Amino acid sequence: MNRLHPLSAAAYALQYGFLWLSVASILTLLLGGIFDAIESAWVSLAAPVGLVAGAAYGIAYYYRFEYGITPDTFDVASGVLARRSREIPYERIQNVDVRQGVFQRLLGLAVVSIETAGGGSTEAALNFVSESEATRLQHQIRTRTAEVKDRRRGRGRPDASAADERSPATDEASSDAETERTSAATDPDEPAPDDDGPTAEPDSTDGTTTSDSDPVSDGRDRVAGPDSRGPRREQLFALEARELLLYSFTSFRPAAAAALLGLFFFATDLAIDLLVSAARPFGGPANLGEGSPTSYGILTVVSVVNGVVTAYVLSVVYTFAAYYDFRLGRAGGDFVYERGLLQRYSGSIPVEKVQSVTVTANPLQRLIGYAGLWVETAGYGPESDSGGSQSAVPLADQGRVHRFTETLTGVESPRFRSPPTTALRRYLARYAIVAALVVAAAFAVAQFTPLERWYLAAVVFVAVPPAAYLKYVNLGYYVGEGHLVVRRGFWKRKTTVIPYYRIQTVSTRRTVFQRRLGLASLVVDTASSRSFFWTSPTIYDVDLKDARDVHGTGRKRLQTALRERARADDSGLTIDFT
Amino acid sequence: MESLHPRVRLLWIAQEALAAIALGVGLAAVDRWLVDVPTVALGVVVALGFVLGVAYAVRRYGVWRFEIESDALYLERGVVTFVETAVPFVRVQHVDTQFGPVERVFGLSSVVVYTAGSRNADVRIPGLTPERAERIQDTLRQLATESDATDAV
Amino acid sequence: MEALHPRIRLFWIAKGAIGAIALGVVLAAVDQWVTDVPTAAIAAVVLLGLGLGIAYAVQLYRVWQYEVQSDALYLERGVLTFVETSVPFVRVQHVDTQFGPIERALGLSSVVVYTAGSRNADVRIPGLTPDRARDLQDTLRKLAVESEADDGV
Repeated sequence: MNRLHPLSAAAYALQYGFLWLSVASILTLLLGGIFDAIESAWVSLAAPVGLVAGAAYGIAYYYRFEYGITPDTFDVASGVLARRSREIPYERIQNVDVRQGVFQRLLGLAVVSIETAGGGSTEAALNFVSESEATRLQHQIRTRTAEVKDRRRGRGRPDASAADERSPATDEASSDAETERTSAATDPDEPAPDDDGPTAEPDSTDGTTTSDSDPVSDGRDRVAGPDSRGPRREQLFALEARELLLYSFTSFRPAAAAALLGLFFFATDLAIDLLVSAARPFGGPANLGEGSPTSYGILTVVSVVNGVVTAYVLSVVYTFAAYYDFRLGRAGGDFVYERGLLQRYSGSIPVEKVQSVTVTANPLQRLIGYAGLWVETAGYGPESDSGGSQSAVPLADQGRVHRFTETLTGVESPRFRSPPTTALRRYLARYAIVAALVVAAAFAVAQFTPLERWYLAAVVFVAVPPAAYLKYVNLGYYVGEGHLVVRRGFWKRKTTVIPYYRIQTVSTRRTVFQRRLGLASLVVDTASSRSFFWTSPTIYDVDLKDARDVHGTGRKRLQTALRERARADDSGLTIDFT
Repeated sequence: MESLHPRVRLLWIAQEALAAIALGVGLAAVDRWLVDVPTVALGVVVALGFVLGVAYAVRRYGVWRFEIESDALYLERGVVTFVETAVPFVRVQHVDTQFGPVERVFGLSSVVVYTAGSRNADVRIPGLTPERAERIQDTLRQLATESDATDAV
Repeated sequence: MEALHPRIRLFWIAKGAIGAIALGVVLAAVDQWVTDVPTAAIAAVVLLGLGLGIAYAVQLYRVWQYEVQSDALYLERGVLTFVETSVPFVRVQHVDTQFGPIERALGLSSVVVYTAGSRNADVRIPGLTPDRARDLQDTLRKLAVESEADDGV
């Protein structure tokens, strides 16, 4: 079993030291308030004790955290008082992510996270390992997974000759695995950096894990260093400077607005001073206490403009930093990506774990003819910060994105069908109700404030027809040979390509209103890990008959695809169902 | 298509009655500490809630159907939003049967089917006799294991 | 069907006792800052909590059973809500063995099985001897890896 990088001992000691310090202090104060026997003054004693105990715990945690690569599984054993040992079969691994913050990059460290579809959080988080170890792990896991798959395929067909595997019928994926194996087998000839190289780490010298009974894999385990990523890493996409800038300027992150609000509450006085002084040249009040209604109005308008502009700038800067130098490639059976200016991310997604791909574009991006592409797996838990999907192409020319989607999934160009016009009527009614609510709210406000002329709010009704129309025209679906394509949304139009093979459940939903109009919505669920805000792909408001048809087609084609896949697996072929 | 056990109506009515009582207690608390609520209004609200609950429970029972088809578990349910769901057996991750205290009183049991999906990730069939629940669990487990050997995710 | 190790009752009782003590501390805090609570009442509540905890632990132990079947892991448990779970081996994503400080003191260990369906509600078998836990983890891991290999449809 391997240990983490020695520096993580220091990191854990600091982390737990301060955690226990605060816990000990708060607990002493709290209990001192409740029970007379405990003096609050003991804090001065409890705090250093907590710090020392926490630091000791942190160091012990480092010594008790072990991970290793075995022929079948990736193992992690952790915990000082409470122990956990976990075995993750290679074929269950969904994503392997490597994250490097600014300081970690300076120190040559990285955080490796391994995700499977089970469990809510990251299944194995290695804080920290050295950069070369991270690369080695990514590479090892990839090789091992291919190996296990090969072994399984070989065992599944005892009758088939080994020559079959190398027959011309062998497709890209298995030949990749083949070359991966041969290239890996030659690797031990190269000087293994952790044996004598200057980049030697104490954690990998004793390590190299695995069964000693398996000399081949043992030898391969020693291979580390940047070159072990494999020579055949094929580049699929790189974000050009122009595209990066366009992406930064045309996308808006709600998180930026949230961050700004957080900042405002954190430093309210300073923020208000700044806002008042910013509004002064435009006729705002000299200070907050004294001003006329007009100057307050000006202050409000200027502050809102300020807020929007600042949030936008934050969003642009964040996007720029996060997607700087984005690259997507393919290595063996995995997609690999890298991105980030200050904090560096890199990850790998097994091609056959991809659940669905989604093309997104907001109105601005559609105007200039650009779109982005997102890949989804089932790996991330609901609490993960990545929101469950990884960008394959942040932003590129629409045509290019569509071509890319087609090669990635094998989907034909979709010819979208629209919902019936009764759906349009439904949206008109829905938005009319929203508008009526707005007017009612204005009326209520007028009752309690000096504002009059509440009926001016009725102007929102003008927006109802265009809003309903825009919602309607952006809806569409296509029932393809191997895939279902669903398009929806105006502000962020999402076109999701779902292979029938990935369908988890299909549901036809009809609300009371839909039943009156003879409409239905079809929810096609895949094993995604999307957050609460990104709902599962839904075909909204189609005729009940069509919905039932698609429902049946989806189910039927899932079974057909499964049979094909099983057959292909039997004959040694693999088919990319993504 | 199979319907649920008729006794499930009683179970749901009992649940609705509990909800109505909780509402009554909430209103009584408002009456006591915030604003005066006339006792008549309180009674009317509770009674109305109860009647609506009963109607809802009866309708819900009338709508609920399920069937074990050749390739999938198929369910129909919902009073306000009517939902038809198909859960292919290949996608079943694991199956629970469970009964809570109220269900135990009525001698009923539920089957819960877990899939890896993000929405409808757990599908529940309530109102089954314990034997029926057991049988469904066995069937589903067998079908889930047989239908495919490659992993479902 | 296998039962858990009898010592698991001590673990559950210990957990109940910790809960009861925490309740006592909260009541003491209420006594100190909000309203007067007679010390006898606090003691009574803590003792009652402890008693209930013991009864719960004993009953839970009686109910808890599990079995490694030919194609699935099968569990039965629950005092208030009785749950029977079957997890087909094909669906197992990964397997943990874990033990906390109390379990370690009692020489016990748990096996936790994750499937893609159990986002947060994982399938846990508590109260195993460390050897048995290790054994079970090995079996489950092997079955999970193997079951993909025999490509039966």
